Amino acid sequence: MTISKKIVLIGHFGVGKTSLIRRFVENTFTEDYKVTIGVHISKRTINISENEDISLIIWDLEGQDDIKKTRPSYLLGTNGFIYVFDLTRPVTFEHLNDELAFLKENFVTTPIKVVGNKVDLVNKIYLKEHSEQFDNVVDYFVSAKTGSRVEKLFAKLAEELI
Amino acid sequence: MLTKYIEKYHKNNFQYILVDDAGKILEQDNPILPLTIGENIQDIHPFFEILTHLLPTIDESFEFSCINLDYNNQETLVVDISLKTSTNNNNLVIIENLTNHYNNYQLTAQSRNESIINSQILVLKNEYLLEKETFKNNFIANFSHQLRNPITASTIFSDLLINSNLNSEQKNYLQIIQSANKDLKQRIEDILDISKIESGKLILVNKVFNLKELLKNLEIIYSYLGNKKGIHIQFNIESNIPEFVEGDQYRLKQIIGNLLTNALNFTNKGSIIMNVSLNYFRAKKVNLHFEIIDSGCGIDDESINSIFDRFTKLDTTAGTGIGLGLAIVKYLISEMGGNISVESEVNKGSKFTFNISFKTSNHSNDQKIEILKNQTPQLKRKYNVLLVEDSEVIQLSILKILASTGLFYIHIIDKAEMLIPHLIDNKVDLILLSNTIQDFSAITLASSVRNLSKEYKKTPIILLSTQGYKDDIKHFKKNSINHVLVKPFDKNKLLELVKQSLK
Repeated sequence: MTISKKIVLIGHFGVGKTSLIRRFVENTFTEDYKVTIGVHISKRTINISENEDISLIIWDLEGQDDIKKTRPSYLLGTNGFIYVFDLTRPVTFEHLNDELAFLKENFVTTPIKVVGNKVDLVNKIYLKEHSEQFDNVVDYFVSAKTGSRVEKLFAKLAEELI
Repeated sequence: MLTKYIEKYHKNNFQYILVDDAGKILEQDNPILPLTIGENIQDIHPFFEILTHLLPTIDESFEFSCINLDYNNQETLVVDISLKTSTNNNNLVIIENLTNHYNNYQLTAQSRNESIINSQILVLKNEYLLEKETFKNNFIANFSHQLRNPITASTIFSDLLINSNLNSEQKNYLQIIQSANKDLKQRIEDILDISKIESGKLILVNKVFNLKELLKNLEIIYSYLGNKKGIHIQFNIESNIPEFVEGDQYRLKQIIGNLLTNALNFTNKGSIIMNVSLNYFRAKKVNLHFEIIDSGCGIDDESINSIFDRFTKLDTTAGTGIGLGLAIVKYLISEMGGNISVESEVNKGSKFTFNISFKTSNHSNDQKIEILKNQTPQLKRKYNVLLVEDSEVIQLSILKILASTGLFYIHIIDKAEMLIPHLIDNKVDLILLSNTIQDFSAITLASSVRNLSKEYKKTPIILLSTQGYKDDIKHFKKNSINHVLVKPFDKNKLLELVKQSLK
């Protein structure tokens, strides 16, 4: 049996939402940055138990410096969110708490995973220096480039959607 | 005619699809997506899977703009999609192809986002470089401060030892040690100066001083050094230059000293001439012209353009420095509102020229004499000096210096907590306080002295500091410290300051 769930990736532009999806869906990565406009939709089915698959319909939204500006129609029927920020650009996570509060307020029961992307470009000291901002908020530090924890992120969210 | 145009331009860009509540295609025209009657729209593209949840609604309208449809490995279509649901199991999906329009928008967004991201990265890189620079400067400052105690001890003990009973061979060895100490001290001062310049902390201290006397002293020192090397050094000071001017005498001495030392290092025969002349008096300022001319090895054309750059050393064995001196000289002269230039010919010599403006002093002759008096104080009785220092070598150095004058009773304590009990039990005229006493800040100790009793409100406190930045000194002086003596210091500096404080 296969069930379908809609996952929306949201966050500032240039944080690597498209790259994360590419890594998850196609297992590829490119350094070239191509701006996403509107929305790209991809799909990958993963097996969650012996007789059960989950088809993740992944909506890759155009990056916004304020997620409140996101077109409401894109968020219709969302089953889970992945909020992505760029660990190397503080401007992409300086309003993290406000943006999460907005999502939680409008999508009370929808699971949200918060991920800091480009972990391959920072070191442990950097993460420690920002621990006040990240602790208890960030679920995964991932790298679309190396693939680090990408699979785990989607699998964990899928598990919570069932 | 209009129908023809609509047919040509409108029809090709719109596709109308009728689907039932389960998503099965009932009717459609074909201009954009090649669909088949009876297939389920959800199988066309993952976007349409969202419709499953919306189709059962009644008489609703949903608009989705800018949807990227990758379809059958063809070029991505970028479309707007509308869904109108109805009660009769006939839901309308309208697709409008706006690929060209959105592709143009994509190009604009691409260049906008790239430019924003690049500027953010630039800001971050800048911050990183600034942090690195600050770390480097702090490291240099801390490292240099750590060297101050041992150099102070080494300098002072060499000075004391040279006057003891030594044979000529021992004296020669000691002179080598003294010379090495002096070189080491100078290099540390140069590194600190460059670090101060880079962090904007090098500030000139302008005070009235006797210019003619400063030049006379330099003449005595360098004539002696020149004689030792067999080089004649001649000072030509025009008599019409003012005796007293306002400026930073320490830095002026540093500039001239550096240029004369270089001239001496690079000259093996002939002479060195130092000319000082008056350019003009204007608006309470005097502009002076300085020239240092040597008959040394000269500088080739290739090197002459970079000699004022940091860490530039001429390819010669004559110099012993680390290539910072001229960079500091250039900076100091420019801070004094002047500029420096050089002319040189290989194997014939070099000529360094610079102009500096000084404020002319308004002091009367009596005031000027007072300034001079203050610079050379004499003591009338024996004073009690308390030294608070935990470094044994520094304790011993200071003890030897002060004891050699016979002018002081000296008490030493090496723990901060002993300070107040000592002051309660003993009369103290002056406190020499180290800023490296373990676990205690010098300012806290000085404040507790001031709060002890009325008697200690004005007792001179001289801080023996490893921190020599202007801001640090200012901070100390604001907080109960009268004077700061930066390590490494020599015998004369210590005695001069102690005597001045007690006068």
